Amino acid sequence: MNALILLAAADPGSQVQQIATTFGVDWPHLVAQIISFCIVCFLLHRFAYKPVLKTLDQRRTQIAQDVVDRDKIKVELEQAEAERRRIMVQADAKATRVIEEAHAAAARLLEQEMQKAVSVAEQTIAKAKEAALLEHDRMLAELRREIGALVIEATAAATRKMLTPDDQRRLAEETVKSLARAA
Amino acid sequence: MPATVSQLKRTAKMLFRWSVVNETLDEGRARVVVQQVLQSKRRGYFTVLSEFQRLVKLQEARQTAKIDSAVPLQSDLQAQIRESVERVYGQTMNTKFGELPELIGGIRIQVSNDVYDGSVKSRLAALAAKFGIPSA
Repeated sequence: MNALILLAAADPGSQVQQIATTFGVDWPHLVAQIISFCIVCFLLHRFAYKPVLKTLDQRRTQIAQDVVDRDKIKVELEQAEAERRRIMVQADAKATRVIEEAHAAAARLLEQEMQKAVSVAEQTIAKAKEAALLEHDRMLAELRREIGALVIEATAAATRKMLTPDDQRRLAEETVKSLARAA
Repeated sequence: MPATVSQLKRTAKMLFRWSVVNETLDEGRARVVVQQVLQSKRRGYFTVLSEFQRLVKLQEARQTAKIDSAVPLQSDLQAQIRESVERVYGQTMNTKFGELPELIGGIRIQVSNDVYDGSVKSRLAALAAKFGIPSA
């Protein structure tokens, strides 16, 4: 601008001078515009930019917090997933152990029942043998008694017929001798 | 004062001792005792007589030898048995001979609780016991 003014001053009738005159600096007007501009800037800064910037800052902060929260949630989620996997592994191990224990208990029970059954069977066999033995002994005793009764009956009958008076006397004398010995 | 049963029994025992002479029951004295008690008719005389009778029976059993035989015994054998019994139990013993065919053979002498059984029946009974046959 100053260059134009200088050019206009150097060449007053020229086209440059016309332009400089037309577009010359109106200082009061310029100052007023500057002041108005400053006022507008202040107002914009005070009532428009500042809330917007504040809102943007809040958004930024919120977004940063969200990002942090998201990361935190992600970490927690991973921890939860890890915990879930650990619990699942533990549950699986526990279930496996329980199943194994159940199998072992079933095997023990089966073994016990087998032993019990075998014991009962052995006892039954022993009782049967004992009963058979007793029956055998009883039959033998009965047979012995019957044979004995027959022998005694036959002996009594035969003796009754065979004993002579001399035999009777001899028997009586034996008793008398036993009486004498008792004295 | 009424006498108790034990006192009456003691009285009977006293009377019985009086009736026994030389460890032998004197029948005459026993008759006297019975007649006197019956005539007195004191309280409890029946108990006294019952106890006296029991003691007399016991004495008679102690003084009597019962000899059973399957067949009748000859007189000399009877004398021999009597002599043996008196030698063992004393001169005052009475002997009663009886016939018991179920003995089959031999004799059985019983004096009070003592029994000398030499009969065939007792020997068969011993045999039966060995066979486990309960005695009849």
